[in-house]
Amino acid sequence: MIFKKIRGVEMNLQVELLEKDSVQYFKVVGEIDAFTAPILKERLEPMQKVKGLQAAIDLSNVDYIDSTGLGVFVGFYKALKQNEGHMKITGVNARLKRLFEITGLDDIMDIEAEEGGDGDATV
Amino acid sequence: MDYRSSVEIYTEWDIVAARQLGRNEARKIGFGTVDQARITTAISELARNIYLYAGKGKIEIERLYENGVFGILIIASDQGPGIADMRKVMSDGFTTSGGLGAGMPGVRRLMDEFNVESELNVGTTITAVKWLR
Amino acid sequence: MLEVKRKYKEMVSQYVNSQSEMDLYSGHKLSRQFIEKEISPEEVIGIHKRTLKELFPEMDEKISHSFDFLIEVMIHYGLALQEHQSLIRKQEEHEMEMNIAAKVQDTLLKTKVPNFKGLDIGFVSVPAKQMSGDYAYFVSDEQSYASVAVADVIGKGIPAALCMSMIKFGMDSMQAERSSPRLVLDIVNRIVEESVDDSMFISMFYGKYDAKDSAFSYASAGHEPALLYKADEEKFVELDAKGLLLGVQSNVLYEERTVHLADGDFIAMLTDGVTEVRTEEGFIDEDLIKELLWKVKDEPSQIMADTVYRHLGEMQNFQLRDDFTIIILKKEDKKV
Repeated sequence: MIFKKIRGVEMNLQVELLEKDSVQYFKVVGEIDAFTAPILKERLEPMQKVKGLQAAIDLSNVDYIDSTGLGVFVGFYKALKQNEGHMKITGVNARLKRLFEITGLDDIMDIEAEEGGDGDATV
Repeated sequence: MDYRSSVEIYTEWDIVAARQLGRNEARKIGFGTVDQARITTAISELARNIYLYAGKGKIEIERLYENGVFGILIIASDQGPGIADMRKVMSDGFTTSGGLGAGMPGVRRLMDEFNVESELNVGTTITAVKWLR
Repeated sequence: MLEVKRKYKEMVSQYVNSQSEMDLYSGHKLSRQFIEKEISPEEVIGIHKRTLKELFPEMDEKISHSFDFLIEVMIHYGLALQEHQSLIRKQEEHEMEMNIAAKVQDTLLKTKVPNFKGLDIGFVSVPAKQMSGDYAYFVSDEQSYASVAVADVIGKGIPAALCMSMIKFGMDSMQAERSSPRLVLDIVNRIVEESVDDSMFISMFYGKYDAKDSAFSYASAGHEPALLYKADEEKFVELDAKGLLLGVQSNVLYEERTVHLADGDFIAMLTDGVTEVRTEEGFIDEDLIKELLWKVKDEPSQIMADTVYRHLGEMQNFQLRDDFTIIILKKEDKKV
């Protein structure tokens, strides 16, 4: 676990990687902002060169993503697309769902809202 | 002609031998305790770099006398991989992150004169001088 | 150097006899001189060793040798100190360059709020760091059309600022005041997609006001919806339009929508530095911005924008986490 202490607030982000049925599952826990985004990037980047990578990113324990964090996902998405891979994002809460909608990313990415989330089902 | 003595660097023990040689020379020339320690530290750094990055090389020590001033010359040479980015190696901040200890900027600060010649895949020769003031 | 050595010996000699706080305080002051004269830590220990030998010639040789050990260790502290000082000087140079770069950015991206008949425009943009990744763009023929864009580069600092300059010159070259918002976004998207690094993206909200029929057409490239206040209904409407962030892929279809403004209606265009303000208690409530705007809805647009900034800035002690930009467009009451 990596801690970064910024302005007196303890910030941390955990990224767990697990392989199942040739799908790489990334479980992200914490907030993804300008301070923690590099941690996520560091974990995702080595995988993105793999041809045809199947990645599933679980954000059910992420409450907040800022624009820098969003940038990491877009970068990963573009790299996977180039290498014929696929990225699926799961477990987004209402706040994150809105973010992916506003940015138009929900139209190009495979995004699944939190189960039993805010009523109006998947995107 | 001044005499020159040298220590071949193969193992970590040779670093200690090079230090000892340098300190003895520095003391004979008349350097004070603090300068002796500085010269020795510079030798230590140079010898460690040879040991860690080139595998083997040589430290030579020579007594200098120019315009009525005594000094000590250190020559560190190896046939290692050479330095790819001299600017980076010589800049502050690089050494602390790379774990090289005091590194090249440190050696330059400890000594009065400092010169590096390096060619990729051929080797590196570093000369450093300290004058007795 | 000799002078400092003599003083050091005197002070140590006094202190070992008196052990008074006063003598220690003199030592404190002397240490400043050591630093000013750039006397390194190992040199100080060397001076101490010599001092002891002179003051106590009978001193055990072994204690004297122990100082050689200390000198060896302290040389590295001395080098670390010198390196630190050199890095600080470098940092100062960088800061100076940053200042110049920020000024160049200001000049390059200078945008003039148009003096447009029938439309009162207010505008605040404050960078979180020295260089802003937010950008506001105005262009108008001062008569029939006025176009406004607000953009946020993902990523901050210098790279974001350079990227903004590119977009500005892209928009300058296409007579943006008459072009339809979806077309402008389409072209800007191509510029960004082709020329910017893969990890950089931009959100942009683009609107065009047509004075003839008070129509505001808008399109959004992944940007926060703007807020429209309808005076007759006394309520806010979100102006959202489907569209992907700029620079993710080429050939994006941007949706364009149109609303008609009545007297007293206003539109607030924002960046996420405004909507995602965070305090120690968490994120601000999204209704807070509406409340703030509502309270000052009868003031001139500039005062409205200033008020929102002052209030949200205060909440975070003006330590902005993100660049902050707000633009207010208010249809002026023609009767006045």
